[in-house]
Amino acid sequence: MTATSLDAAPRTTSTLNTTYYRLELRRVLRDRVTLFFTAGLPAVLYFVFGASPEYGSEPVGDGNVAMWIMIGMAAYGTVSATAGIGGAAAIERMQGWTRQLGLTPLRPSQFVAVKAAVAMTVASFPIVLVYGIGFVTGASAPWHVWLISIVVLMLGAMTFALYGLGFGLAFRSEAAVSAASGALVVMSFFGNIFVPLTGWQLTLAKFTPLYGYVALARRALTGGNTIDPDGGDLIPEALLPVLLNVGFWTTLFAAVTIVLVQRSRGRQ
Amino acid sequence: MPSTPTSSIRLRGLQKTFTSPDPEIGEVHAVGGVDLDIHTGEIVALLGPNGAGKTTTLDMVLGFTNPTSGSVEVFGLDPQTAVLGGRIAAVLQTGGLLRDLTVDETVELIASTHPDPRPAAEVIERAGLTAVRQQRVQSCSGGEQQRLRFALALLGDPDLLVLDEPTTGMDVQARQEFWAAMRAEAEQGRTIVFATHYLQEAEDFAERTVLMANGRVVADGPTDRVRRDASSRRVTARVTDDRIEAVRAELVALDGVRSVTVERGRLLVESNDSDDIARRLLGPLGGTDLEIEAASLETAFIQLTRTGDPS
Repeated sequence: MTATSLDAAPRTTSTLNTTYYRLELRRVLRDRVTLFFTAGLPAVLYFVFGASPEYGSEPVGDGNVAMWIMIGMAAYGTVSATAGIGGAAAIERMQGWTRQLGLTPLRPSQFVAVKAAVAMTVASFPIVLVYGIGFVTGASAPWHVWLISIVVLMLGAMTFALYGLGFGLAFRSEAAVSAASGALVVMSFFGNIFVPLTGWQLTLAKFTPLYGYVALARRALTGGNTIDPDGGDLIPEALLPVLLNVGFWTTLFAAVTIVLVQRSRGRQ
Repeated sequence: MPSTPTSSIRLRGLQKTFTSPDPEIGEVHAVGGVDLDIHTGEIVALLGPNGAGKTTTLDMVLGFTNPTSGSVEVFGLDPQTAVLGGRIAAVLQTGGLLRDLTVDETVELIASTHPDPRPAAEVIERAGLTAVRQQRVQSCSGGEQQRLRFALALLGDPDLLVLDEPTTGMDVQARQEFWAAMRAEAEQGRTIVFATHYLQEAEDFAERTVLMANGRVVADGPTDRVRRDASSRRVTARVTDDRIEAVRAELVALDGVRSVTVERGRLLVESNDSDDIARRLLGPLGGTDLEIEAASLETAFIQLTRTGDPS
């Protein structure tokens, strides 16, 4: 990212509007509270549950338990970040900002590009922080596990930008967007993110929105298995249900968002 | 700046119907067939009470919503194309700003969307915002926020400026400053269309007024003529008791007379043509002690909008 002066602002329609991107990022960085919950909190959670305890060095697949917990905490951070960006976009729309932009030559696709770039950037904050702490405190796995998990975390987080946007459009208030972020904590628990679930909780977990996301992110580490919390051993897990979970929730969030955007357009 | 005397806005048979979620209300005809031509360089007030269809009409001009039927052309283009080309800009009624950005940042952001924006410092100066450039939008007053919206509208150097109730929430001084800035823009040959429910604003600023009521245009012409046509005046005179009924009957039959009443020996006549009534009363009808009062602007407004009411 290079800092552009006003006079050097991009004027072509094909490239990213870097002025808008830079100002959006500045808005995110100004909001310290949200920043703490998206990056600081997952880092603290990892430090407490992943880095410190002795079980962290127990092996999981080609890596260790600390790595497994690290991916989970980073996942929680990235979805909080992108849900926040999506929810903020809904609030901006409610406050008429979208109408303001509608009066400029900015095309909707350019707006989406800026928001997606901002969401990707903000999603990377918790990943950088949590993975950085993980790296120096003993999370271990082959390099390709680090790389693949990051790519999956980043791409999958986009689904939760839609989740935040849909929530905001449906309930049309800032409180609703906060509630959506709060609900991610519950979903994270039932998504097998914080602790390995067992029994009926695990059965239920497989239907919740975050389960598929984090299972895919950890798949390179576990090699297609999941942790059996009773023995700490790995038990095989089929890929298809995980993909179905991700596909279902992504489709649902996208469909709900499209319907709500169309409805709010009719109301304007 | 535009130089040829062409139509800036051309509306033909424009209709917009909303379907209410409440089945008892059913369809709402927000705009019920509007034909309108606004020429380049004109300053036009779109006057009408709340619910007259002003905002919906302007939303269609700005391409925010599509007409149910009829057509909108802005400089011969469809509204979206005109907006993308930066030919048309608007000052929104409320909202439309990010509260956590500063004035400077907001201008910078919107400027970045235009291919060839006017210099930020220039529009900030013109909108009188130089003193609050570093201030966050959320700590700006209502008037400052409105001037910021105005500054944003100027960035693309538009040929047509659309203002929807631009002075809502401003105090008297802010309102005067706002219109002074707007006059400066008009002098550069921009076409300006503004919606308002203040007659005074239409009178002070617009050379032409289009009056809307119930989704239709009920009057359109030079502002003073629209007001004159709308404004009835009240002529009162003393007439002797024995003749008062005969005089009343004669006046009621005249064109332009809206009502004739008798109150404590005086005849009260509401009419468009107060001169004619006065002449008759002082001449053949034998009235004395004559007074003429202009109806207030608000009365005129009610009078005209009522004319457009089908009920």
